[in-house]
Amino acid sequence: MNEIIIAILRSGTPLIYVTLAGVIAQRAGVWNLGLEGLMIMGACATIVGIMLTNSIVAAILIAILICVLASVLLWFVIDRLKANPIIAGLGLTGLGLGGTALAVQSIFGSQASVTAPFGIPKLGPAFGAYGVLSIAVAAMPFVVFGMWVMLRRTRFGLRLAACGEHPFAARSVGANPSRMRLVALAIGGVLCAIGGAELAAGSLQFFAQGMTAGRGFMAFAAVIFGASHPVGATFAALFFAVVGALGIRAQLMFGDKIPHDLLQALPYLATVFGVWLSGKLRGGAKAASSFAELKDQ
Amino acid sequence: MKDSLVTVARSLIFVAFALILCALVFQFAGYNAPLMLWAVADGAFLRSGAIEQSLRWALPLFITAVGVGISFRAGFFNIGAQGQFYVGAICAAFAAEAFKGGPAFLVIPALIIAGTLGGALWALWPGLLRLRSGTDEVITTLMGNFMAGLLLVYVTSGPLKDPSGSGQQASSRPLDAAYRISDSLGISPTIIAIGAAVGILMWLLVNRTAFGVLASLAGRNGTMVEWQGARLWKLGLSSFIISGALAGLAGTIEFMGPNGRIASGFLPAHGFTAILIALVANLSVVGTAAAAVFFGGLASAALYLPIMAGLPAAAIDIINAAIALFITARSKLVDQVLRLGGRPS
Repeated sequence: MNEIIIAILRSGTPLIYVTLAGVIAQRAGVWNLGLEGLMIMGACATIVGIMLTNSIVAAILIAILICVLASVLLWFVIDRLKANPIIAGLGLTGLGLGGTALAVQSIFGSQASVTAPFGIPKLGPAFGAYGVLSIAVAAMPFVVFGMWVMLRRTRFGLRLAACGEHPFAARSVGANPSRMRLVALAIGGVLCAIGGAELAAGSLQFFAQGMTAGRGFMAFAAVIFGASHPVGATFAALFFAVVGALGIRAQLMFGDKIPHDLLQALPYLATVFGVWLSGKLRGGAKAASSFAELKDQ
Repeated sequence: MKDSLVTVARSLIFVAFALILCALVFQFAGYNAPLMLWAVADGAFLRSGAIEQSLRWALPLFITAVGVGISFRAGFFNIGAQGQFYVGAICAAFAAEAFKGGPAFLVIPALIIAGTLGGALWALWPGLLRLRSGTDEVITTLMGNFMAGLLLVYVTSGPLKDPSGSGQQASSRPLDAAYRISDSLGISPTIIAIGAAVGILMWLLVNRTAFGVLASLAGRNGTMVEWQGARLWKLGLSSFIISGALAGLAGTIEFMGPNGRIASGFLPAHGFTAILIALVANLSVVGTAAAAVFFGGLASAALYLPIMAGLPAAAIDIINAAIALFITARSKLVDQVLRLGGRPS
């Protein structure tokens, strides 16, 4: 049982951090499909940072810096240049996937993956079987709670939601939707950097090209599934992690009877189901008005 | 006319902007940017035989992109072209197994139909979910891409596995030479004819039929079209099916033409590039053809970049991504500059 919980926490934690980044962007009214790209930038920057600076703190700070800069670029393109958020987000994802591949090749020669000597510190033997988890896993519930407080119980969070829901009304009480979006995306950049760092340096300590494998998109689906509520979205992400872990479990148990490539598709199927269900429950969650534009434009 | 010229100029400006941005980044990363741009131009259009190679990549991209344009026009963000492309190729490959040994003049059309239907099917379920339950199609089609990718891995390493295949990439048994519609160079009269037929039919559909006009209106203002008495869900579902069918057709062409087999994870950027083409072309069919030639050139140049400029092929992905980042921008500044240029006061 411990093993399954550890597996779920390991695969779920990076997803949850990135999901929270999606939640805060969603609340500000931005559909952030760049999560995948931000996450892989964070993962790559962490491992490269460890190799270059030999310090995990410096590595994560580098990752945060890169992800925040990339988020600001996304904000500039969709807010200032009025680009379509979905396409611009996909572009940022492509930039992340291609850029990290290029970076790894130009820094380390033609290697497909890079292994770092150490990663994020572990909890240690004091936590028994759970000591193999990194401190980012232990910090996760507090971050989720902090996000909930920030989004639901502070003036900033309420203004943010107002800016996402009804920019005109928000502006009439003195909020600046454009600046709110910038802040939301920048905070999202920090969270994506931590999520990427946990993915690459949490238990594996290596970076491989395209290692996010759609997790950023899954996080985005968790945002929709969880009705862009920080706790709801966290549970949605956790649900995807559970489905993934059970898939691996089933693979071990049933072996050849079920082709494992099809079991790997379970989280994606669960995502479709989740989005369908959340649409059903709330009468058609059609948040993006087709050619989704920011609502105040 | 002036407006459409402004649109074209705007697309060109953003593409050029993205190219320059990438060149700057590559220069800072320690590569020779002018050499890179030259290698792209040379590999895409200047080298002898380059045009044929660019067309080989451009034709399937054009077919998929026209489909993407049709669903975008109707206001549905079907970003699942990649998955529909894969499922089309998979269905054609299964049909090829089933009809093995039949006369070529019957089998070839049957395979094309099977692939087209497969692609349509993979667009049908997101379409139904969207129009029946309001499930957002951006997510369902995106997840469909991942599922189709895994399905491809499964069939190429399972039911369709080529036992003699070696190497890391699992692939299907090769298609019988009699059923191929081109050699491995990838350009043949059959493929050109299919591309031309798709282009003409879709141009007629978009510009000369009630469906095309209503679908475009529905994309801009669905409520209005519904009040006018059109069935919004019929329009929407048809546009999903058409876009899926065309992506499936493109997958079938890749399978029956240049590739001759399907391999796990083949052409992973096809769908994304097709979406870009449709957007660069501002969703017009004629524009799509022109944009497809350009992006086909980029795809073909990707094969020469590592040799010519020492750049990894990922450089082309980055150029495409940069174009995606900026292509939908509606900067007032750019428009003002363009309009001032075209209309001296």
